[in-house]
Amino acid sequence: MPAKKRTVRIGNWYKSDDENVHFVRKRKAPRPAKLRKIVPGQVLILLAGRFQGKRVVFLKQLKSGLLLVTGPFKINGVPLKRVNSAYVIPTSTKVDVNGVNAGQVDDDYFKRTQAQRRKNEQGFWAKRGELTAEQQAAEKTRLDGKRKTQKSIDDALIAAVKKTPLLKQYLGARFSIGKTTRPHELVF
Amino acid sequence: MVLAKFVEVGRVVKINYGPQEGRLATIVEILNDKRVLIDGPTTGVQRQVIPIRRLTLTKFNLKGATRGARTGVITKAIKKSDPFAQYAQTVAAKKVAKKALRAKLNDFDRFRVMILRKRRSALLSTQLKSLKKNTGGKAQTQAKGGNKKK
Repeated sequence: MPAKKRTVRIGNWYKSDDENVHFVRKRKAPRPAKLRKIVPGQVLILLAGRFQGKRVVFLKQLKSGLLLVTGPFKINGVPLKRVNSAYVIPTSTKVDVNGVNAGQVDDDYFKRTQAQRRKNEQGFWAKRGELTAEQQAAEKTRLDGKRKTQKSIDDALIAAVKKTPLLKQYLGARFSIGKTTRPHELVF
Repeated sequence: MVLAKFVEVGRVVKINYGPQEGRLATIVEILNDKRVLIDGPTTGVQRQVIPIRRLTLTKFNLKGATRGARTGVITKAIKKSDPFAQYAQTVAAKKVAKKALRAKLNDFDRFRVMILRKRRSALLSTQLKSLKKNTGGKAQTQAKGGNKKK
């Protein structure tokens, strides 16, 4: 008879070494993440990571709960990116995103591909050049596709940004705190 | 120095302390050497007794305010001659208004103010340079040019 994972205790039951008993709590469906009042088109200030201090435009919330933002790339170098809403300050400045279609971008867009993961297969010493020709071609088309998506989203955004004077420069500048700024008194 | 601001009926006062801090009102009646009755129907101050210690006297007077006048009478007098509007023109009042405006600026506004200040200072310095060149070093800085900044 096959041994069941969670068995009834019979007296003193000592687990054998290779038995791994886990109590697995299965989540039926992913819980939709709550979003503070952040609206598509709102300018956010990133607080952590490589782009900390950068002001970016919020596009939509992904199914994983992360926020999809873009620089736009031409303005401040931030690409289409997923960002945790906890590491973000929403400002009251909004950009018109009516012409922007971010529908095709979702969590899968950011998933690591086989080519990116092959490093783990070949071990620590695998180098970039060791992709097969097939893989290299696949990578190239993948990156071209990404550039295209970035461009299509950004073009519509930049057109909207240009309408407000100084907004482009604003998005290009980083947010910082000086000696005399009182962050708790700042209105964003 | 001649004393000019008296605690008298009709004197416009600014409340310094308490829930009504910063608002204006008129003295309607003097109760004793420490307390007065004030009223500010147009400025949102309810008719109340308040210690003089909590007030700052302004140099404005409400014409037509009689001793113990009711709120309606005060409102009519304000309609005729509005000392509160006159007070808003003073430098002190403008400073308070400017501070309040600066506190309300959002992130984008603060950025714009910074850029505009830089532009103004660049304009001023080019003007100063050309003046210095023309008058051989005896130039004075021009008065504030450019648009009004926050």
